Amino acid sequence: MNPKNNLLIGAIIAVVVVMSYDVGVDPIAFAEGLPNLGIVLKEMTEFESEHWGTAFWAMLETIEMAFIGTILGVVISLPLSIFAARNISSKYVYAPLRALLAATRTFPSILWAILFVIVVGLGPFAGILAITLYTIGFISKLQYESIEAIDYDPVEATTAIGLSKLQLIRYVIIPESAPHLLSQILYMFDYNVRQTSILGIVGAGGIGFYIINYIKFFEYGKAAVFMLVVLITVLVIDWVSVKIRDKYIMKAQHGQQVKVKTN
Amino acid sequence: MDVQNTASFSSIATLSVIQMRNVSASYDSKSFVLKNVSMNVERGTNYAIVGASGSGKSTLLKLMNGMMIPSDGVVLYNYQKPDLKNKQYKKSISKIGYIPQTLGLVKNSSVLDNVMIGGLPRLNSINSFFKNFPKEEIQHAHDILKLVGLHEKSNRKVHMLSGGEKRRVAIARALMQNPDILLADEIVSELDAVTAREIMTVIRDAQKKFNLTAIMIHHDMNLALEYANRVAVIKDGDKVLELGVEGEKIIDFQTGDMTKKEIWEMYNEPKK
Ligand SMILES: Nc1ncnc2c1ncn2[C@@H]1O[C@H](COP(=O)(O)OP(=O)(O)O)[C@@H](O)[C@H]1O
Ligand SMILES: [Mg+2]
Repeated sequence: MNPKNNLLIGAIIAVVVVMSYDVGVDPIAFAEGLPNLGIVLKEMTEFESEHWGTAFWAMLETIEMAFIGTILGVVISLPLSIFAARNISSKYVYAPLRALLAATRTFPSILWAILFVIVVGLGPFAGILAITLYTIGFISKLQYESIEAIDYDPVEATTAIGLSKLQLIRYVIIPESAPHLLSQILYMFDYNVRQTSILGIVGAGGIGFYIINYIKFFEYGKAAVFMLVVLITVLVIDWVSVKIRDKYIMKAQHGQQVKVKTN
Repeated sequence: MDVQNTASFSSIATLSVIQMRNVSASYDSKSFVLKNVSMNVERGTNYAIVGASGSGKSTLLKLMNGMMIPSDGVVLYNYQKPDLKNKQYKKSISKIGYIPQTLGLVKNSSVLDNVMIGGLPRLNSINSFFKNFPKEEIQHAHDILKLVGLHEKSNRKVHMLSGGEKRRVAIARALMQNPDILLADEIVSELDAVTAREIMTVIRDAQKKFNLTAIMIHHDMNLALEYANRVAVIKDGDKVLELGVEGEKIIDFQTGDMTKKEIWEMYNEPKK
């Protein structure tokens, strides 16, 4: 640790303190409020187990929404990412498209959900549209970045052979950028399940609808059942995607396998 | 000691595949990578280009297939100027089998898919998008894979192949172009001596079978003398020597006859 580093760390701490004061961070309120958390947690342990069934079906709806939204989003993203890649498309196409895609990522999906509730009314469809839009913004970006990062040698070699642009995309660009796609889709689905779980707060379908209402009416025991179902689902999805990733993706990328520590 | 007009070496007029007249090339329009190079490659020749790294050999090949435009002088491929805006010429580039130094294979695709790429320019864009190939094209690809000795591995992904096998794929892709000329940039330079000779044999067999003109860049003068019947030596962007090879006899266009051994001693760089 040299003096320069110490100075930097001191400066960061000072900035955090000043900003905290500015936005009203209040440790005393936190300490005084802690017993309330205890009450909530205690009530949460009083599971109302007759709600497991409802929670299960609500979670299933949530997963369905997330799945549809992810798939739709990915399907739309694939052609968009090609148009948005600077090494393939013309500036007049990629520049406005990238700005548009950035705009869809600017707001969290819950804001898009509010917008779509206004457009198509309450219910899962609004949520699906929100998830689709958000997925488009994200997957397109990840994809055009992997397209821009592909090895240029095969592009040059096949251009010298005289391939058409469509053939170049089909036989070089897509195979070279696709290995990352499965991993990106898994990540996005995982993320979308979590997001969809809260879209119910604005009436866009899914399990969040129950959670927010039970919390509003201080029915923590019921809310806890639904939250636990979300937690278990997310853990299971996470575990499954790690398995898929190890089995297919690592092998696809240059023939290596991940060595997992077993001890 | 520039050799400007090598065409006069041959008394019988044969067709030229590649002609270069006083060609200069530059990447930054300030310094020249090639200076005033002339070259004539007749149909059926087994032409080798040798020189130290950075001497301008790869640039020479890129001028031949139109990937680069000379800053001065004329390059002709089948008596046509490489010009990608010219539809007639653009059709003909698919017949220049080009294997770049990096091979340029699609690593995540299968061997067969990589080979099929060579035939794409003659196929309909929409059909090829759906991998909807005519039967005879698929058969042709399999025949070529047999020829290069990779038939058993046609479904293997390219990144799983050895260096020698990757070169066989690149050769097969070039042959799939139904080329009349094969340009290969240091295709065996990174291989061990045994594998290098295997690959050279594959190319020699293909060349005989398809009546190919071959222009190959080599790092190793010995290999060039062994497989080529013409050897051009490039030094600092200049063609300093052009030899004709007939068995043990070597014809140097300036100094008269020499033996392979003498030439080899003169131009084979000591290994660093
Ligand atoms: N794309 C490029 N841009 C700028 N300079 C280049 C480029 N390619 C090659 N050169 C330069 O041109 C010279 C000749 O390169 P090259 O033809 O690749 O030589 P060789 O194949 O004989 O090793 C070198 O000095 C190299 O640095
Ligand atoms: Mg080179």
